Amino acid sequence: MSLTLERMRADIARMIHLPVDEVGDDDSLPDLGLDSLRLMRLALEWEGAGLRADFSLFAESTTLGEWWAEISARGLAG
Amino acid sequence: MALTAPPPGSTPLTSAQEGLWYFQQLDPGNPILNTGQYLELSGPLNRAALRDAMERTVAETGALRLRFAQGAAGPVQWLADTGPVLAEQDLGAAPDPLAAAQALMAQDSGTALDLAHDQNAAFTLFDLGDDRHLLYQRIHHLAIDGYGMVLLTNRIAEHYNHLTADGPAPLPFRDIATAGSEDAAYAASPAREADAAWWRAELAERPAPGGPATERIAPPPGPHHFHRSSQQLPRALLAQLAEWSDAHQLNWTDVLTGLSGAYLARYSGGTVTAGLPFMARIGRKIARLPCMAMNVLPQRIQPDEDAPLADWLTPLAARMREARRHGLYRAEHLRRDLGLLGAGQRLYGPLINLQPFDRPPVFAGLSCTLHILGAGAIEDLTLTFRGDPASGMLFEVDANPDLYDLPETEGHAARLPAFIATALTAGRLAPVPTASPAEVAVQDALNATEHPLPDSSLTALLEAQLRVTPDAPALVYGDTSLDNAQLDQRSAALAAELQRRGAGADRIVAVLLNRALELPLALLAVLRAGAGFLPLDPEQPPERLAALLAQAQPVTVLTSPDLAGLLPADAPVLLTPDWPATGQPSGTIDPGHLAYVIFTSGSTGTPKGVMVEHRAIVNRLLWMRDHYGITAADRILQKTPATFDVSVWEFLLPLLSGATLVMAPPGAHRDPAALAGLIRKHGITTLHFVPSMLAAFLAAPDSAGLHLPRVFCSGEELPAELRDRFHARIRGELHNLYGPTEAAVDVSFWPASPEDTSAPVPIGWPVWNTELRVLDERVRPVPPGMAGQLFLGGVQLARGYLGRPDLTSAAFVPDPQRPGQRLYATGDLALRRPDGAVVYLGRADQQVKIRGMRIEPGEIEAAILATGLAAAVAVVARSDSGVARLVSYVVPAAGYRPGAIAEQIARVLPGWMMPAAEVVLAALPLSANGKLDRKALPAPGFSATGRAVSGTSEQLLARLFTEVLQLPETPPAEADFFALGGDSLSAVRLAQRLSEETGQNIGIGAVFATPELAALARQLGNVTDGLAPLLLLADGDATAVPLVLLHPAGGIGWGYRALARALGGTRQVWALQHPALDPAQPLPASLAALAGDYLARLAAAGLSGPLHLAGWSVGGLIAHEMAVQIGAPVGMLALLDSYPAEVWRAEPDPGPVAALRALLAIAGHDPDGHPELDSREKVVAFLQGSGSALGTLPAPVLDAVVRLVGDTNRLVRGHHHGLWPGRLLHIRAGADHAGRALRAELWAPHAVEITSEQVPFLHPEMISPAAVAQIAPLLAAAMSAHGEGQRQRE
Repeated sequence: MSLTLERMRADIARMIHLPVDEVGDDDSLPDLGLDSLRLMRLALEWEGAGLRADFSLFAESTTLGEWWAEISARGLAG
Repeated sequence: MALTAPPPGSTPLTSAQEGLWYFQQLDPGNPILNTGQYLELSGPLNRAALRDAMERTVAETGALRLRFAQGAAGPVQWLADTGPVLAEQDLGAAPDPLAAAQALMAQDSGTALDLAHDQNAAFTLFDLGDDRHLLYQRIHHLAIDGYGMVLLTNRIAEHYNHLTADGPAPLPFRDIATAGSEDAAYAASPAREADAAWWRAELAERPAPGGPATERIAPPPGPHHFHRSSQQLPRALLAQLAEWSDAHQLNWTDVLTGLSGAYLARYSGGTVTAGLPFMARIGRKIARLPCMAMNVLPQRIQPDEDAPLADWLTPLAARMREARRHGLYRAEHLRRDLGLLGAGQRLYGPLINLQPFDRPPVFAGLSCTLHILGAGAIEDLTLTFRGDPASGMLFEVDANPDLYDLPETEGHAARLPAFIATALTAGRLAPVPTASPAEVAVQDALNATEHPLPDSSLTALLEAQLRVTPDAPALVYGDTSLDNAQLDQRSAALAAELQRRGAGADRIVAVLLNRALELPLALLAVLRAGAGFLPLDPEQPPERLAALLAQAQPVTVLTSPDLAGLLPADAPVLLTPDWPATGQPSGTIDPGHLAYVIFTSGSTGTPKGVMVEHRAIVNRLLWMRDHYGITAADRILQKTPATFDVSVWEFLLPLLSGATLVMAPPGAHRDPAALAGLIRKHGITTLHFVPSMLAAFLAAPDSAGLHLPRVFCSGEELPAELRDRFHARIRGELHNLYGPTEAAVDVSFWPASPEDTSAPVPIGWPVWNTELRVLDERVRPVPPGMAGQLFLGGVQLARGYLGRPDLTSAAFVPDPQRPGQRLYATGDLALRRPDGAVVYLGRADQQVKIRGMRIEPGEIEAAILATGLAAAVAVVARSDSGVARLVSYVVPAAGYRPGAIAEQIARVLPGWMMPAAEVVLAALPLSANGKLDRKALPAPGFSATGRAVSGTSEQLLARLFTEVLQLPETPPAEADFFALGGDSLSAVRLAQRLSEETGQNIGIGAVFATPELAALARQLGNVTDGLAPLLLLADGDATAVPLVLLHPAGGIGWGYRALARALGGTRQVWALQHPALDPAQPLPASLAALAGDYLARLAAAGLSGPLHLAGWSVGGLIAHEMAVQIGAPVGMLALLDSYPAEVWRAEPDPGPVAALRALLAIAGHDPDGHPELDSREKVVAFLQGSGSALGTLPAPVLDAVVRLVGDTNRLVRGHHHGLWPGRLLHIRAGADHAGRALRAELWAPHAVEITSEQVPFLHPEMISPAAVAQIAPLLAAAMSAHGEGQRQRE
């Protein structure tokens, strides 16, 4: 099973206690309350789900849209 | 370090780097910014692959090639062509390969870099043999931060895994230039200004840093190393942390930060401003770039100790999240914004550093552990948590060695995990002691002081001892004494009479007596009657005595006829003449019965009577007897007023030990010279000093060379400097004791020995059956090093306060650790040292000590308000000049005038509670929360516009104040000695100068008691006290041959005080003064008759054995004549610039005016400097105006001096010298006698041998302190050359 954009959105929403539809592609995730520690927990979960990238991939940008673009472009979704 | 011009293309440092640059520039030789770590790799390492991985990592990491230098516009950096190359070192053959590697790493990390030339990084692979390798990484902090180090380390592993195990090729790091462009982008963005504003608002109140070092200031530029204590946190704790955090929907990082902050806040009143390192990378292009970017965010943590943890942790987590959103704004800039730039002005205290990503990297086929060597400068204390609950966590405590010692560092490391675990279990902070369970156990062990006590009353023990040696002396006072049998009989008789008057168990008998034999006799009699004694102070005002009696309701008052008038008319008294000679008390006394009541100052305005039972004081006295080995051979000095509880052991310890109790005369406790005399005369072995009095005693010349087997200090802090001064001056033991009246005198002890280097001097260890507990405001144990309130437990606790159950239950609280037991809350702040010794820190409330007397300012304030003359008042103890003194701040009410309050309160307060200064204010300064702002109270200044001094005594004092305190101008009559900068040492000096000038020894106590110039002048009283023909100028060893100094022409001998002070101690120094200073006395017929009269006076005073004789000017002639009359060359004969009679006979008669002018020389002035003084009136006026002591003489005495100057001239001209069959020491005034043949050889016809010396002074200066400094050693050597021997006394 490979990682999908919608699974990532759902995981983020769960981690910051928000409804899924409030996590938009262009929302600044730190502003929504996603700190580095929660992000790391997500990154570990996603690695377990087949993602071939570590936490630092998510650190350079702050929106789900940017992350997914990077994952797609480099074929990292597993 | 060579200066290097930065190459073209250099770029400025980022704002994150700048702070580190300036820190390094402060101390370029400091290697502490070398951050370092090593990986411990176990297993079959592919060395070639590791080399390759390192090369690839270095190639893509620009930070490793950075060089740094100061450019024209600020510090810059550039990229060198090459980066570091992995070094390899085989240590397999070393005896201890690991230790060898660690030493090499420490050496490298400990070497400061030349940042313009050196590689900022180094990598070394140590082969330890047996498939063990260490990969050492060292990089300067300017190039990298903690997270950058993690990225770099992981990258080495990724390359290795790619090369050896088919791992993915890592995505290369970005260009290091990204760090500069990101920094510039933020600097130019509106976000920066918004962040700055947010922080300024957040920190508007300038929260104090807090934490364990809150009272300490680290000196710049900072140390070169740090203390480290590290450990892996237990898995159980990590699991508890993770579970608890999940259950409360909190990040474990926030919980760990919050609880660490709560621990730190315990050291600083419940609040800490911690520094939280922030990686400052998330969402930025430098997120995956090794570089220096981290920031530190100040975070105030103020937990609610009573609330469930989540109630305060949840909002704290939200606050920290908000702060991180503004976290790119540099802490250095914030410090500047808030004006916190000076040394000791800090934005935050300890750091709480969470590095969840800092886990050991994974190397394929190897196991790897991570060891952190250093992560930059440690300003205060840094708590670092590396890793996470699932993978394990390394906990490091790093500490600045200028602020913390290693045991302290280790203490925090051991304590915090226990604190966190206990808090998570309890769910609240309130039940969590700061001390760990192990530390509580150690404190309990220190308090394990159980010692068997006889189940008998103090009375029974005292009675038994009296009968052991009935003939031995029990009490000595002056020339009177009582032996044990007499004391037994008289105290029994008095006890029987007291019983007849109603004394018995738990009744009170008051004792109002001056210090004399009757006082200890009375105390003993009260105890034998089964009652408790209540000492009263004859120096207290009658109104206060009446109030105390009303409170205590004694059965009777034991007093003397001269003191009975102080008591209310209806007080029942038993006067000393009525004390019976026979009788025996009856009945038995229980150890739980009342032994004594001592009143202490009460904050509400009413003194509190502390009731102490037999068992308590028996414990204290038997402990002291056994602990210090007091025996019947000891002689213990009693000098403390009976109303001060130290007197209890002074009175009763000798009686309990069979030792001799020596009573000092009243007032002697304030007079160092009198004390030294008593100690020498009575062979005192044991005595007590309040430290401030010990300081004065040591400063007095009389204390030199004393042997005092045991000196006990209590009542005030014993300064370490005073301990050292004691041992430099006195042979004997010094012990520091501590205890409140509420716990039977003393509860702790510390041997302040010559070897003790403690600073501060601890109050030490508990006595028998006593517990010292340092507890916080919630009565929880605190760890070593943390300040708390000192609580006392055990057998010595008082019963309580007489008639005040409310005050009793407030101060004597239930012991939470031992149900049914009580603890006494001392109100003293204290801490335990790492070794467990207790250190006194100060008061938790306003109580003060003045010269050892415990005073509640509230009691004085109440008395002042009761006068109706003040609308508001505050009384504080100030130590502006180093001596604690009470100052009252008064807002006047109708009827106020200066001095009126003092007059009224003197009727109700004892002298030691009288404010030394009164300051009038329009209103008391208040702090923001409406409380008295004590810091805003002005120091009591001395007003230069005060009344000018008038009268000879005031003028004399004004001159001495100016001299001793080195004042720029003459002080006014209101000037206060201590307000002008006086301290106990200068007070001693003032007293000495006064005695030199007037012959009056007022004692240093007078200066303390009346520091105001005019008041002290009134104390001076009648200066003719110093005119006796034979005057003891300096006390000393009475068995040594004494020195007798002969007066010069005016007949007065005080001028020799400075000389006597320099020569006293080893012997007594006496002065002879002309008997005709008393105008009623006849003038002598001849100089020979005068000398004969002096020898007779000496013999009458017991000074008939060998003598040393010396004299200045005419005094030398008299000394020579006395030596001739004695005949035998048995002592020194010294002449200070004296010349034989024939010289003067040859000169014309100088006439009356010249004789008069000789007075100027006697007063220390050069007559040739004052040709205008040509009449008696002018000379006398000059002497009075100059403040000379001669000017203070009453007119008849001054007349006598003038008469003697003339008459002595007559005697000299008529004198013919005999031959002295010994050696004459002549000391010439070498700066004088130009053109006159005044030389020692003139004495050749009158002595068989002459030793001639010369000093560079004028004749009038020969006895000045400056000349004495040169002359005294000559005399001392001459006297010791005579082979002292023991002086015969008939």
